[in-house]
Amino acid sequence: MDDQAAAFDSYWDALDVELARYPMAADLQPLSLHSSGTFQTYSVKLTSIGPYRIFGYFSVPTSVRTPAPALLLTPRYGSVNHIPDYHDRERYVVLQVVHRGQRLADRPFAAAYPGLLTLGITDPGRFIYRAIVADCLRGAEFLLSRPEVDPTRVAIQGDDLALITAARRSGCSALMVSEPLLYRLLERSGGTDAYPAEELNDFLRSQPEQQSAVAETLALFDAARHAPRVQATTLLVNAEADEALRQALGGPVEDYRLTHRGAVDHVWLDGWLAKQLGAEPRARFLEHALSTPEQGEHAP
Amino acid sequence: MQTQTQMRDPARHHPTTTVRPPDFDAFWADLLATAEQIPLRPTLEPVAARSTDEVEVLEVGYTSLDEVRIAGWYCRPRHRPPPYPGLLIVPGYISEPTLPKTWARRGYAAFGVAPRGKLRSHHQYNPGYPGLLIDNILDRHTYAYRGFYIDAVRALEVLQQQPEVDRARIGVHGSSQGGALTIVTAALRPQAIACAAAGAPYLCGFLDAAALTHSYPYEELNEYLRRFPERAAAVRQTLNYFDGINFAPRIRCPLLLYLGLQDDVCPPETGFAVYDALQCPKTLHTADGCGHDAGAYWEAAHVEAFLADHLHP
Repeated sequence: MDDQAAAFDSYWDALDVELARYPMAADLQPLSLHSSGTFQTYSVKLTSIGPYRIFGYFSVPTSVRTPAPALLLTPRYGSVNHIPDYHDRERYVVLQVVHRGQRLADRPFAAAYPGLLTLGITDPGRFIYRAIVADCLRGAEFLLSRPEVDPTRVAIQGDDLALITAARRSGCSALMVSEPLLYRLLERSGGTDAYPAEELNDFLRSQPEQQSAVAETLALFDAARHAPRVQATTLLVNAEADEALRQALGGPVEDYRLTHRGAVDHVWLDGWLAKQLGAEPRARFLEHALSTPEQGEHAP
Repeated sequence: MQTQTQMRDPARHHPTTTVRPPDFDAFWADLLATAEQIPLRPTLEPVAARSTDEVEVLEVGYTSLDEVRIAGWYCRPRHRPPPYPGLLIVPGYISEPTLPKTWARRGYAAFGVAPRGKLRSHHQYNPGYPGLLIDNILDRHTYAYRGFYIDAVRALEVLQQQPEVDRARIGVHGSSQGGALTIVTAALRPQAIACAAAGAPYLCGFLDAAALTHSYPYEELNEYLRRFPERAAAVRQTLNYFDGINFAPRIRCPLLLYLGLQDDVCPPETGFAVYDALQCPKTLHTADGCGHDAGAYWEAAHVEAFLADHLHP
């Protein structure tokens, strides 16, 4: 093992050790307003490194037998994460992780947008995404600990946070990765002035001397370096040109090229995930209208 | 709307149950008059760290209804002589307000606003997400979108006050909730807006939309009415005052509307209903196979050309 590889392993092993020091101290509270006759949704608070209390939406289907297939949703880049989709909550045990700084996990730390992406980026030990990865790992540990979950059918879906989570925690059988955030960020940010990548351009415009420090930090979050530890069947969305990432992944790899017709893409991606988890595929666009409130069928 | 046994055919079958209250115009005239009594007190602070050689970025603050301070990002070109056309960019439901550098680089004085409840505008009002859609929904006089809509109108006033902005060339653009705010702003200030581009508009045909989807944010309405079915009539009464379908006939400027024909978030039926209600010069683009993206992959170029045709950056 070369020095760079050793430093990489040391960085992430230290994070695992730090996280293990804190019990997750899960606090589940039913969210009756956001539940239905076919699933029960909860808020969940967990302790991550810091220590810091993070948030999640946890949901258990009540109309399918448990243990049921499970889906871990890593947080998006932005202040808000929706409650998991209705159709997913009917089929899967779902956890949407809300990382520190995002709404519902924004006390005492409230993330700035723009701003979060480069917070502490010149120091690997202080880069905010070190803690955010820990938040995702804690979420995975919680989900995998739940008796409602079939441990043979667990998927993770999201950006490169999903890939890093799958790499750092065994137990998931399927991984869907799209729209990476940190992966090749320096390279991608050069061709855009759109946020969030523009946050990095802003940062380097004012502190160009920090370019190498930024590169060193981002190298620790490089999806291709984490990929060998991923054992799950992985679907890479719009990454067919990235042979390095595909070759690096430790498990079977499949590709999907977006058509950019969102409903078509969603149906395909939902079908892939459902197949991996042994569930029925669903389209979010309903073929028929639901009942209307005036018909009285909104009542439980 | 439709019964459970009918297959949907949004382009051909999109009746609306939205009703225009007789005092709809009076309700909004009163609110606008109330807002006008409140000093705007705009502040614009340069943000060097986000500015470039081509674009100057400023952080904006102003006062809106209920004395709530509203934030936004204002971007103006550096290397072109003013005046510039103005462009108001209005945000989606959960998205962060746009920092519209790209538009400024194209020659617009562009303002990305964060209406109340969004980050940096949430210190006095913060219903959260989920939550905004149903906050105080039983009372039109305190409903969440009362102040939210006025915040967008006041953002237009901030843009109008900038000396480098040509007041005859101001457009508004957004998608989803931004599509709704585009319609509302163009309707409440019909003389001030030169053109409008709205994608996948939200907040149109609220209850019809909720009956066609389980996707958020409209699922907030389904959840609320599962819990409180007896409140459906009161909810409908409030929402009629905030429905884009009822705002649409007031718009006078050219408007581009684009829809995804399989949009689960903002069902296309409600977009077609808005289009039917428009009495201005109007263009409709529909994208088959598209969901809430509304064909943005291709439509972005159409929007850019539409705005340029009318605003001449």
